Amino acid sequence: MPVITTEGLGRRFGDFEALREVSLSVEKGEFFGLLGPNGAGKTTLVRILTGQLEPSRGRASTMGMGPDDPIGIKRRIGIVPEAESPPTFLTAQEFLELVCRIREVPDVGARVDRWLGFFQLEDKRDVLCRDLSKGQRQKAMLAAAFIHEPELLILDEPFINLDPIFQRRLREYLQGVVAGGRTVFMCSHILEIVEKLCTRVAVIHQGRIVAQGKLDQIRQTEGEGLEDIFMRLVEGRNGDACGGRPAG
Amino acid sequence: MLREEWRLHRSFVGAVGSGFFPVMIFFFSLVLAATSPVLLRKMDVSLVLLVLHVSAALYGLGVGALAQIGEQVMTRRLGQVNMLLQLPALQPVRFRTVMGVFYVKDAVFYILYSIIPLVGGIAAAVPLSRITPGGVALLFVTVLLTFMLGMGLSFLLSAVALRSRAAAAAVALAIAGLVALVWPLRLLVPGQVLLPLGYWETQNSLYLLSAAAFALLLSAAAVLLMKERFAPPGRRFRGALLETERRFAFSKGLSALVAKEWLELRRSGALGPVFSGFLGPLLGVYAVIWLFRSGLGLPLEFNVVFYGGMLGFLGLMTYSWLTNIEPNEFLNVQPVGVDEVVRAKLVLYFLLTTPVSLVYLVAIGALNGECAYLPLAALVGLSTMVYVAAVTGRMTGLRANTMLFDAAVLGRFAAAIVPPLIAVTLASFLVRTAFWPAAAALGALSVCLLAASRYLLAGIGPRWSRSAFGI
Repeated sequence: MPVITTEGLGRRFGDFEALREVSLSVEKGEFFGLLGPNGAGKTTLVRILTGQLEPSRGRASTMGMGPDDPIGIKRRIGIVPEAESPPTFLTAQEFLELVCRIREVPDVGARVDRWLGFFQLEDKRDVLCRDLSKGQRQKAMLAAAFIHEPELLILDEPFINLDPIFQRRLREYLQGVVAGGRTVFMCSHILEIVEKLCTRVAVIHQGRIVAQGKLDQIRQTEGEGLEDIFMRLVEGRNGDACGGRPAG
Repeated sequence: MLREEWRLHRSFVGAVGSGFFPVMIFFFSLVLAATSPVLLRKMDVSLVLLVLHVSAALYGLGVGALAQIGEQVMTRRLGQVNMLLQLPALQPVRFRTVMGVFYVKDAVFYILYSIIPLVGGIAAAVPLSRITPGGVALLFVTVLLTFMLGMGLSFLLSAVALRSRAAAAAVALAIAGLVALVWPLRLLVPGQVLLPLGYWETQNSLYLLSAAAFALLLSAAAVLLMKERFAPPGRRFRGALLETERRFAFSKGLSALVAKEWLELRRSGALGPVFSGFLGPLLGVYAVIWLFRSGLGLPLEFNVVFYGGMLGFLGLMTYSWLTNIEPNEFLNVQPVGVDEVVRAKLVLYFLLTTPVSLVYLVAIGALNGECAYLPLAALVGLSTMVYVAAVTGRMTGLRANTMLFDAAVLGRFAAAIVPPLIAVTLASFLVRTAFWPAAAALGALSVCLLAASRYLLAGIGPRWSRSAFGI
């Protein structure tokens, strides 16, 4: 059962076409990776899937809801945006409490304690978010996306600013999420992590999906790593127009 | 920086809106100047010059609060947006250098954006009025210098405040003392304090030279006093959101957001400006009327009902401040619409302004011996407050201070606000002479305003629910 589907999705910003004919499907229980160079259209796609942006054409559905129901989508999923921006004048604890109250989840105190503990932010619980380090702010944003234990997590560069200890901890948590039958949709430039975690990937370049499938399906040669696949699809397409397998 | 400022303005209100603002000022001053032969039959030219220069000084004071907003620009208002003002954080540039350039940029921008269109409108009216081209040129010089004096003074005050609030309070007190020597003590004439105005009073060029020197001196002193580091020490607060939310439980589904807004207001240090932004104009209106009545001997009969009508119209600044504290970008990924945050801010707005308004009305009622009119004044005050807040929330959402620079929005805003303001003011004048007809008219007007407010408040959802948070 797909939790995300798009068909012929396009988005224009003036003359610039950020997304063109994007069609993909993510099944429940998948760990799906979206890769692409800077400016390829990843964040635009994420913003449409999370109800933050309307498409110019085509269709998108997240948990059965379209971009015309942004509050409904956001209520059902957890989102980590590309840039961390927790509230300036709330403490880390209050930020998570606010998210719980907005989402009307029970056991606010226990949940907040659990996630502050998970990200080792207990001693920072009373510090204003603006005074946290970048990594700590990212942890607060991750905790805010996980705290209501949603069926679907859409994560845009979730590992950014995290030290190796927390990269591993996050990796293990996300693997547990998928093992429990929930779904993760992740954009990342850290190909090593994508290769380790994702059951299926799509590569987006210049607004188009240029390859999609399990790693084995988009490999051209035995032992070809994700980095090689990525370079072939992106650089090769720039140079001699030889792409990977067509999307589908 | 000028290009950055222009792009920022355009990003807020669009190219047409940005470009239209100076055009509107131009036509406004053109109309005023063209009708000046009629106006000058009723008003002395020295009074017109006084009003014009005091306005320019106040405008400069507003624009010049740079140092105070510097920290806000760097740490909160613009969220993820990096401005050139943030260069010293990463590049080998001194903050006072960047602030100096920022000051010049702001001066040039606002001169081009408002002073030149203002004087340009007067210049265009030369054939229609008795104003001479030489007079317009001179007016440009004196208005410009007055604006620069106000800007320099405000810049200096805010730079001093960053080092010592007590020193800033002393400077502010000294300035207030200087003003008091003119009004009400009358030991000095206005031109001796507002130097460019002194030129019009004496035709002595020394006033212009002194004004230019003072403007330079004030801004140079402000730049030199600028602190190099703005980063405040990390602050800790015991978790207060849930407890605060319980206190705002009456706002039902909005209580968590209202609690968040309240905590942010207190911790950001904006509570003072929010209060003074409301109380200041209220006291200012009373002071100006008192001045015209007592100082200039003009027979003005403003009663407590009139002041009730002013409450709503002067609350705009307060709402604008409330929308300036936090860009709320984090809410883009939470199931919250911009419309809900607008409503939460409106709840807080009423909580903050209602007690002040009541005390203000009771005080004026007692001072004027008009306590019998207080219920009517309260009704008029309540209805105008609700109406203006509803219009502002509906038209500007979370961008009150920037969207009102959009000439189209400003035009619609004025069309919605000015007619009721005039109607309330005119009806209030009849209260002493024909109470019951005036009360009936004001009652009907209040009901209309409340009904319109209900419609406008209901429209906040459709208008803003699909908007994004951020600048």
